[in-house]
Amino acid sequence: MRNARQAPWALVALTALVALFMVAPIALSVMAGLVNNYSVGLRSGLTLRWVGEVWENYGNTVGWSLVLALLCVAGNLVIGVPCAYALARSRSRAARLFEELLTLPVAVPGLASALALILAYGTLAGFRQSFAFILVGHMVFTLPFMVRTVASAFQKDELLSLEEAARSLGASFAQRFLGVLVPAVLPAIVAGSLMVFTLSVGEFNLTWMLHTPLTRTLPVGLADSYASMRIEIGSAYTLVFLIVILPVLWGLQAVGTFIEKHHGT
Amino acid sequence: MKHRLQQFTRNALLALGLAASGAAMAQNAICYNCPPEWADWGTQIKAIKAKTGVTVPPDNKNSGQSLAQLVAERASPVADVTYLGVTFAIQAQKDGVVGAYQPAGWKDIPDGLKDPAGHWFTIHTGTLGFMVNVDALKGKPVPQSWADLLKPEYKGLIGYLDPASAFVGYVGAVAANQARGGTLDNFGPGIDYFKALQKNEPIVPKQTSYARVLSGEIAILLDYDFNAYRAKYKDKANVQFVIPAEGTIVVPYVMSLVAKAPHAAEGKKVLDFVLSDEGQAIWANAYLRPVRASAMPKDVQAHFLPESDYALAKSVDYAKMAAAQKAFSDRYLQDVK
Amino acid sequence: MSVRHGGFAPSRALLAACAAPAVAFFAAFWLLPVALLLALPARQGWATYFTALTNTRYLQSLLQTLGLSLVVTLATLVLGALVGITLARQRFPGRQLLLSLLTLPLSFPGVIVGFFLILLGGRQGVVADLTEAAGWGRVTFAYGLAGLFLAYLYFSLPRAIGTYTAAARAMDAALEEAARSLGASRWRVARDVWIPQLQATTVACGAIVFATAMGAFGTAFTLSAKFEVLPITIYNEFTNYANFALAASLSITLGLITWLVLWVSRRVA
Repeated sequence: MRNARQAPWALVALTALVALFMVAPIALSVMAGLVNNYSVGLRSGLTLRWVGEVWENYGNTVGWSLVLALLCVAGNLVIGVPCAYALARSRSRAARLFEELLTLPVAVPGLASALALILAYGTLAGFRQSFAFILVGHMVFTLPFMVRTVASAFQKDELLSLEEAARSLGASFAQRFLGVLVPAVLPAIVAGSLMVFTLSVGEFNLTWMLHTPLTRTLPVGLADSYASMRIEIGSAYTLVFLIVILPVLWGLQAVGTFIEKHHGT
Repeated sequence: MKHRLQQFTRNALLALGLAASGAAMAQNAICYNCPPEWADWGTQIKAIKAKTGVTVPPDNKNSGQSLAQLVAERASPVADVTYLGVTFAIQAQKDGVVGAYQPAGWKDIPDGLKDPAGHWFTIHTGTLGFMVNVDALKGKPVPQSWADLLKPEYKGLIGYLDPASAFVGYVGAVAANQARGGTLDNFGPGIDYFKALQKNEPIVPKQTSYARVLSGEIAILLDYDFNAYRAKYKDKANVQFVIPAEGTIVVPYVMSLVAKAPHAAEGKKVLDFVLSDEGQAIWANAYLRPVRASAMPKDVQAHFLPESDYALAKSVDYAKMAAAQKAFSDRYLQDVK
Repeated sequence: MSVRHGGFAPSRALLAACAAPAVAFFAAFWLLPVALLLALPARQGWATYFTALTNTRYLQSLLQTLGLSLVVTLATLVLGALVGITLARQRFPGRQLLLSLLTLPLSFPGVIVGFFLILLGGRQGVVADLTEAAGWGRVTFAYGLAGLFLAYLYFSLPRAIGTYTAAARAMDAALEEAARSLGASRWRVARDVWIPQLQATTVACGAIVFATAMGAFGTAFTLSAKFEVLPITIYNEFTNYANFALAASLSITLGLITWLVLWVSRRVA
């Protein structure tokens, strides 16, 4: 969208200030993870030693967090997209009630949801001590986001006509769903997936209670390292987090932009 | 179709879960509250792996979190052993989440430092005092007494762990209380002390803050002698340990076998090891006082403050300390703002 | 979310089949467990459900959390809108990179945000170094209310900036041009053209920012602020000899209030 006017300098200054506030700590943290001694600062020289220690002690948490996040997205797609369709089309009271219930996991504190899960399923030892337990917690927390995003896209009027047209041409439901509906809401699906991935990768409130010493995720390991290790290690861990997460986020964003450009609507 | 989808999903989840946990099941003993940087658990864990073959993953919970997690999981425990401050262990016994086990070396533990049936037993003790990062004081004198900490010159420089959730926090509170004339029946002086301390804007973390002292973020921390000695001799930081002039207390840290532990055999091996000569020597080298006193080498003893200073450190009735903890926590959270 | 179009409607059986996996999953792994949780406070007596309102310490914590969340939400919406719209309209090299850096913190756990604030405003922080150089002594703000507020702002702004940037791109330029060509001042353009168009976005964004702030735990945990928020109170009860009944009661209260605000915001939209 082109705009002939330059924004007033006050807004530019404000934007610059906010940008500085948001980006400066990231830069500081990256520096802290790469210097020999944080209190001395850059003068103490750069080193990869802390990154090495982080990788040695916490390397597996990075992989697991990524896997969990991707599985969370996949799971949400499989159960969330059809559900979003149902909620968008349904006029029943049950549907409205379920929509309302879906907003609850966001309102209830993570600690409580986690405690609830442990009380309900803690006795299934194999389940409890596996990453599947954490995956379930993540999915339950992120499902509302996926469903809400995709459901509002399913409600567009053009979609209804499209669907009607396809049905009248004899397409089965599966054909309509996969061939017409899903492609039509693809931008929303990608946006929802990005949101779910982001939420899962940084999820702490639930995971903190659900994890066991053998099933740690990155945020839990990070909290551990900040508490008991030197600040250089905590910062190096943050750096590793950024290095791993940024490409994935950018990749997903690029996919989203690509789809939006070639999509129309 | 929906049923098949659900079945598939459930099976996939279980498969994933079993795959993840199956690999982990081999020769593991889960310990709650075994942080690598505390009491040099890192070295202890390595030695346990080398000598007994049992892998103990590190865990950063504090005593309060460990107890809470044990109680939440009592129907199907995840942990095999746990390391707790003594008052939390006494509570754990009341809650029925710890089992009885008398490890090898049991006889060497003095009577007041173990549960007769073996629900918990001391593995080492520590003395509470001031862990001071002298550099971070930027020239101010090192405080020597509880009263010193109230002086305005130390504003913003003090930290202590949360007395309501961390054991070391509660120990600090009991120590300050005793030093200021209170008893386990009367926490008035202690509460008044913490109220007065708020004027100096202390930082009150909920978990170990060793790193923050080293970095200078917290210049004076109410912490144990072993953490201070480690900072001074292992990490070569300019840290001093001070036993406050009005007195302080000595407290035991204990371990227990978790009731219905999933890997009880491995858990017992771990408990046997920490009480063995080798295990106790590792504690001694980390500047803790091993419960089996014979294990303390002379050169390590030389690094401690002189015994005359340690005469100011007293033990207390730990059972009574445990009984008073809840009421004190409530009162602290209510009164100290 | 209601269907406005008459005519074609898929069969109820089909819709039920589409929703079934999600409903089953949600029922099994959230509704059922939370129902069990709801029963917990009753163990200590029915009055336990109301502890948040009857006990002054908990009530204070609840009100503080509400207050902080509301203020953070307002500040976030205003700042987010201004920054989002500015960024949507200004073209400069590196704009896309800046935008992705600004929305990156959405993926951060609260613990990182807490430590970022300590890096900025702790005793060894950058701000302390600057103020010391300026002769004002070492100014530390990370552990007080200011630090907590800034930390909450830090994890809330990315959501607002992302939302408003997208919404600003979708805003109707023609309306604005028309208003300007009729001589409307910038302020009037903002009030009469921008705000009505952004209303739905604002309410939706505000709701999620508010809910996140109400439930935020990791940040306050790391900053160990004296300004107690309810999630920390819940944690305290949890670790204070495993007082689950009380922790559950406070969680229910927090959940209800947050849900109520979300519900009202949806009616208003």
